[in-house]
Amino acid sequence: MAIRDVRAYSSIHARVRALYSTMLTPETWEALIQAQDFDALLNILSKTVYGPYLQIERGKLTPRRAVYQIRWHLADIYERLIPLTPEPGQQLLLQLWRRYEVDNLKATLRGVETGASWDQVRHLLCPMTKYITLTTADMEKMIHSGDMARAIECVRHTPYYGTLVHALERYQEEKTLFPLEVALDLDYHRGLWHSIDQLTGPDHDHALRVVGTMLDVNNLLWAIRYRVYHHLSEQEIINYTLPLGYQVHDEDIRAIAAGADIAQVVRRIYPDAEGLEQLSERARAGLAALEVSLQRHIVRTCHAAFIGYPFHIGVPAAYLLLNEHEVRDLTVLIEAKVSRLPLEMFVSMLETQVPAYQTEQR
Amino acid sequence: MFRPQVMSKVELVVPEHDVVPVTQVLAASGVFQPTPSVHLGSGRLSRSAEDWRRRATTFADLERRILAVMEALEVDEGPPPAEPPQLIEPETAQMDIDRLEWEAGAPVRELEEGRRKLAQLQRYLSQLEPIADLEVDLDTLRNLRYTFVLPGTMPAANLERLQTSLELIPSVLVTLRREDHLATVVLFGAQRDADILNRAARSAYLNPLELPEEYRGTPAEAIAALESDIKRARQYVAECQTTVDYLHEVRVHSLRHLLWRVRASRTLAETIARYGRLRYTYLVAGWVPTSRVNMLRREVKRISDDVLIEVDTPARQEDGHVPVALENPPIVRAFQSLVTTYGRPRYGELDPTPMIALTFPIIFGIMFGDVGHGLVLILLGLLLLSRKVRVLRGLSGMGTVVTICGIAAMLFGSLYGSVFGFEEVLEPLWMRPLENIMDILISTIGIGIGLLSLGMVFNIINAVLARRWGRLFFDHNGLVGLIFYWSLIGLAASAFAGDLPISPTPLAALAVVSGLLVTFSKVLERLVEGRRPLIEGGLSAYLIETPIELFETLIRLLSNTISYVRMGAFAVAHGSLSMVIFLLGEAVSPTHGLAYWIMVVLGNLFIIGFEGLIVSIQTLRLEYYEFFGKFFTGGGVPYRPLTLVPREK
Repeated sequence: MAIRDVRAYSSIHARVRALYSTMLTPETWEALIQAQDFDALLNILSKTVYGPYLQIERGKLTPRRAVYQIRWHLADIYERLIPLTPEPGQQLLLQLWRRYEVDNLKATLRGVETGASWDQVRHLLCPMTKYITLTTADMEKMIHSGDMARAIECVRHTPYYGTLVHALERYQEEKTLFPLEVALDLDYHRGLWHSIDQLTGPDHDHALRVVGTMLDVNNLLWAIRYRVYHHLSEQEIINYTLPLGYQVHDEDIRAIAAGADIAQVVRRIYPDAEGLEQLSERARAGLAALEVSLQRHIVRTCHAAFIGYPFHIGVPAAYLLLNEHEVRDLTVLIEAKVSRLPLEMFVSMLETQVPAYQTEQR
Repeated sequence: MFRPQVMSKVELVVPEHDVVPVTQVLAASGVFQPTPSVHLGSGRLSRSAEDWRRRATTFADLERRILAVMEALEVDEGPPPAEPPQLIEPETAQMDIDRLEWEAGAPVRELEEGRRKLAQLQRYLSQLEPIADLEVDLDTLRNLRYTFVLPGTMPAANLERLQTSLELIPSVLVTLRREDHLATVVLFGAQRDADILNRAARSAYLNPLELPEEYRGTPAEAIAALESDIKRARQYVAECQTTVDYLHEVRVHSLRHLLWRVRASRTLAETIARYGRLRYTYLVAGWVPTSRVNMLRREVKRISDDVLIEVDTPARQEDGHVPVALENPPIVRAFQSLVTTYGRPRYGELDPTPMIALTFPIIFGIMFGDVGHGLVLILLGLLLLSRKVRVLRGLSGMGTVVTICGIAAMLFGSLYGSVFGFEEVLEPLWMRPLENIMDILISTIGIGIGLLSLGMVFNIINAVLARRWGRLFFDHNGLVGLIFYWSLIGLAASAFAGDLPISPTPLAALAVVSGLLVTFSKVLERLVEGRRPLIEGGLSAYLIETPIELFETLIRLLSNTISYVRMGAFAVAHGSLSMVIFLLGEAVSPTHGLAYWIMVVLGNLFIIGFEGLIVSIQTLRLEYYEFFGKFFTGGGVPYRPLTLVPREK
């Protein structure tokens, strides 16, 4: 145990521990799942850590706005933890935070593509005020530009410009956002891997375990989706994925690209993954189950980071990822309650909590 | 001076026909910060708010269009007008903008098109240049029967992946050039694999070189043709630019004028949209410094006698929503930006600006004590204040700070006996840091202890002002925190110095008791202030957090105190750096010729620029992290009076 690590991480660790205890409890999840409707769900949420963010006029709290407000919590914890984190771990958190910027950029590009108004787009974004290169004003300007080439010119000052401007040629030929989005994702994930690589000692090991697992799952799911949904060629799948990872190696990706049995490859890496039996018969249904199962694997990895030696970057990174999953689940719940879906249709999509009756079902 | 200005909540009931002139008066007064009052009005009549909101949206759209034309014609916004501009009707603005858009549209499009074509030609050229020496006809490459050839550019990061993806396909990827993140490549393969190769290349973001058919012959010949086309394209772009420049010249004033009129009209519409509405009147609410209420009342009454005005001054403790207007004399105000960069004081708490105005120059002076260097800083500060050098105008706000820091540096320079690094010219009034290293380091720790204790005293005062008795007694930086800190200092002093008037036993007892109170400060604070639950986030999390917090408090107090050693260390480093410069001068010219003096001047400039910057950063660091951290909460709501055009700073 290095005294330097203890000194550097004692403060942030104490804070993360305290914040960790404010995450939604299984009882609250149970109540949220059982909530009668959207209003009842908001009432329960207003008594949790999300309460302060939902204190706006009820009439204005549409489902989309509610999700947007909930995301403020995520923004707040990132902005609180980043300055407390010592370097070089701070760079990793900044890179994780950048993922929302990339998502915002993608959402804005979709808005430009569909000719949406700024009012339609703004509440789809993740609120970000600090540690950003892409401001809300930039995104508003992109939407108002009304044309993809002009929209990309609006991000000239950001690190995304080079990637987008090169991919623009393909967008203009194919008239689909796919090449732009994939280019952004690949560039972002390469950067994320680089941030992990910059770390040493326990920081590197734990970041690899926590963030590397997320990177693995994304990379693996890309490969599978490109094969199952998009029917891409072996070469295309390889080019649209990354040769880096923690447990998922390039051989695995290349095996999937080359047409190997997906279930077999995934089982070799994640023996407990679900949906594998279905993959060969009803590939799409199996893939949906597999996606949730792998996201739950990330959640379990993040919870495990809180056990054992605590003075490393893995703890804050895991806490932030857990919150992201919490927000994703809340989004699923909000959509389910607004559409009045029966329990069995949405409970299986939740990633952070597996309620008892769902376990029994399985 | 030590607290934000007293603010009053002003509510006006304005007849419908007076709402625009009254809002203009409120904006012109420069003291009224409106707050939304729609909720005070009648819900049935909220159509008015909708109408004003719609009007504001129209103006916002018009503003965007003007800005787009301005951007296209490369016209900047210019400074805001000295007088509030006349308001404009949306229809009139619309007509003006339509005309401007029509006028600028074609030339700007032609310029953009010309630039795009030029960029494309340059791209072709950069892709052809690496194969300039190839003695092959390009038509041959275009019409190959058995060989697949694909030249193009791609992200360098994708090169390896593309090669991996083509491992099983007979092919060769040749990198011709790598610039920044892009690589110019040629992919060779068999024509029968063209489909696979094309898909692979495309997925690796290889953008093919699509040289138009008109460029024929060998690459060298095509390059010559391209260069001639580039020359023509440049000429065309220059001609288009001349037209756009002409439009810029003739339309610059009308565009700026229209922009500010539309902007002022939008602000006015947005402001009125947030007013409450009754049947025949509007309800307007906002904050005004209490000292300016009478002036505002007179101004409004000059417009209309029918306006009803009510004033209420809330207590300091209700600070959550009251905007904070800081009030300091001009010299102290210069340091205000250093405080607001960290955070704005809350309405109920002390404004640390006077303290930073006092301590910042002292800390700076201790680290940068030199009569000559201080004099240069004073001259620089006066130059900034004079605003005579255009490129330095943006820094004029820092002129006073630089001047005062220069004075402090001169004072400490006299105490240290240092002039431009020469230590023989002046007799030190106190001591030379280089010769008394331990003395200066211990003295600066003493100053640090004083400043940290002062910070804790300020925290106690803030707690009294906020009537937060729990925070007053049990906060880490409250009374028990202060006692804990001083008992630890007492113990350390008795260990090192020995003969203290108090024996170590009561000090140790005091340290243990106050340490325990600090450990459980959160619970005790909540207990005294009647806040429940006593433990937030569960007992287990609390038990894990508590010992770490005590450990952290101890480490923080120690590191905060030791942190002030840097003041002494920099004073020593300042002397050492000067010595190094003289040694370098000696090395260059042992006879103290011209080279020696050039070295001394350059070295002193380096010290002023480089060390001055580092010392400023360190001073700011000591203020923010060590001093402010003890008492300053921040998070106050900024006071932003309504104005139809932004005021120039």
